[in-house]
Amino acid sequence: MCAAVTVEGLRKSYGAVLAVRDVSFTVASGEIFALLGPNGAGKSTTLEILEGFRRRDAGSVDVLGIDPGDRSRGRELRERIGLVLQDIAVEPYLTVRETLARNAGYYRAPRDVDEVIGLVDLAGLERRKVRTLSGGQKRRLDLALGMIGNPSLLFLDEPTTGFDPNARRSAWELIRRLRDTGTTVVLTTHYMEEAQQLADRVAIIADGRLVSEGTTASLGGRDTERARIRFAPPPDISVGELPVPARPDGDGLVTVESAEPTMTLHQLTEWALRRDCTLDQLVVERPSLEDVYLRLTRDDAAESTLEGSLR
Amino acid sequence: MSAMVWHQVRYEQLSFWRNPQSAFFTFVMPVLVITIFGALFNGGSASSYFYGVSPLRYYVATIAALSVLGSCYSQLAIVLATRRQNGILKRVRATPLPTWMYFVGLLAHCVLVSVVVAGLIVLVGRLYGVPVPDRSQWLPIVVTLLLGAASFCAIGVAVAALIRNAEAAPAVVQFVLFPLVFLSGTYMPIQSDTVNVVTGALPVRPFNDALLGAMAQGTGFAWDSLGVLALWGVLGAIVAIRRFRWDPRPE
Repeated sequence: MCAAVTVEGLRKSYGAVLAVRDVSFTVASGEIFALLGPNGAGKSTTLEILEGFRRRDAGSVDVLGIDPGDRSRGRELRERIGLVLQDIAVEPYLTVRETLARNAGYYRAPRDVDEVIGLVDLAGLERRKVRTLSGGQKRRLDLALGMIGNPSLLFLDEPTTGFDPNARRSAWELIRRLRDTGTTVVLTTHYMEEAQQLADRVAIIADGRLVSEGTTASLGGRDTERARIRFAPPPDISVGELPVPARPDGDGLVTVESAEPTMTLHQLTEWALRRDCTLDQLVVERPSLEDVYLRLTRDDAAESTLEGSLR
Repeated sequence: MSAMVWHQVRYEQLSFWRNPQSAFFTFVMPVLVITIFGALFNGGSASSYFYGVSPLRYYVATIAALSVLGSCYSQLAIVLATRRQNGILKRVRATPLPTWMYFVGLLAHCVLVSVVVAGLIVLVGRLYGVPVPDRSQWLPIVVTLLLGAASFCAIGVAVAALIRNAEAAPAVVQFVLFPLVFLSGTYMPIQSDTVNVVTGALPVRPFNDALLGAMAQGTGFAWDSLGVLALWGVLGAIVAIRRFRWDPRPE
């Protein structure tokens, strides 16, 4: 698969504030790529540079073979990308259908208006004025505007912020369907679950730097890191009496870390069976995406505080 | 290309007529004002106070000018400031629609509205017995209206570029316009020479004068006034082009 987006050494500052520092990543054609990070980490700035809204200070950017900083090719680029911005931005006095028909007129080969209305679940509301729609319906209309031009690359800036859980799931379903029909999707989010459910690959941005990149399974070494086995030790057994090294968690459970969970589990269960006792609440887990995310973004915050105090 | 302009004008018209606030202030208001003035001044005879024409003939011209101010200057400044704040302009920017096409559509819409309102005002005047201007004056009238519309569009975009906060837009727009309209003789002829010298260098009075000349006095093109008006239009255009922002949160 060839790359839809290539970013190398991207840098952007606002005055003395470095918003994006040496960010590099590639988005393969046909995948869902998520930029994950806390508020103010530089996600939106990065996205706005890719969309051609902001100029970069340094680095190279290639979006569908076009440099978005090259204004002379702006129209060509906008013909092939679609975007949904953070704010809901739709004219209040037009109807749903008119809003989409208006924007469809801007593209050479737009999608069918009714098809898109169906895709975002607004069928039956075609003749409703935009101002009478609920927040979630407006957001879906916004999403419809992003795809009306039949883009090969769709940018979504926090697409499901403010959605209820059901609306979020159907939005994910829709985004997956777009990917399956060949659209590349680049999205920003600060919801771990969204990245995990939706993205083929994730890049974590913290404090303007890309701190980790990979599939949700491998991010931050999740796949190679030690597994954690937790359970409630049998009564009257101290941690030291267990057959493997363990540490108490404080909530009555103990945690055993292991690079070979199969072996460790066997030792534990054999020991328990022999003594005719049970390991209550037994779980085996890998660090969750959230653990990895918190560790990566916290490390970075600590580092930058240190930098700040050294200056 | 003309199809695209029409596409734009059509949707601008839909947005405009369905918004009760814009439809009232830009469209109903001037028509209401001339209807009331008609009732107040009906049958008044020509006097030197009204520059040698009947009061109602005077008002048909100045209220027609007012309607152009409303549909071009006020409407554009408020609509653009609001759309920018809401992110609608940024959204438009994200489509392949060329910038100039967006503006051509919007300006054509404003000019269309002002021509319709101005025509209605002449019609209401006609109902009160104000004679329709002589055929020889039609060209000067049309040219004056179009130049006025263009200049006040440019000033409207310039003011939208200078306004940071859309909530303040209607207040700022009216704050500038209201005293200027009064002092420029829209609601009553101004006899103070000092005031007239000052307002004569500002955009509203020259527009009033030029329209009065062609519509009421039958004196054709008022080149001096048109010149001042055009200069303001150019100034507005320069500010508009240099300062206009699409993004609600500029860099």
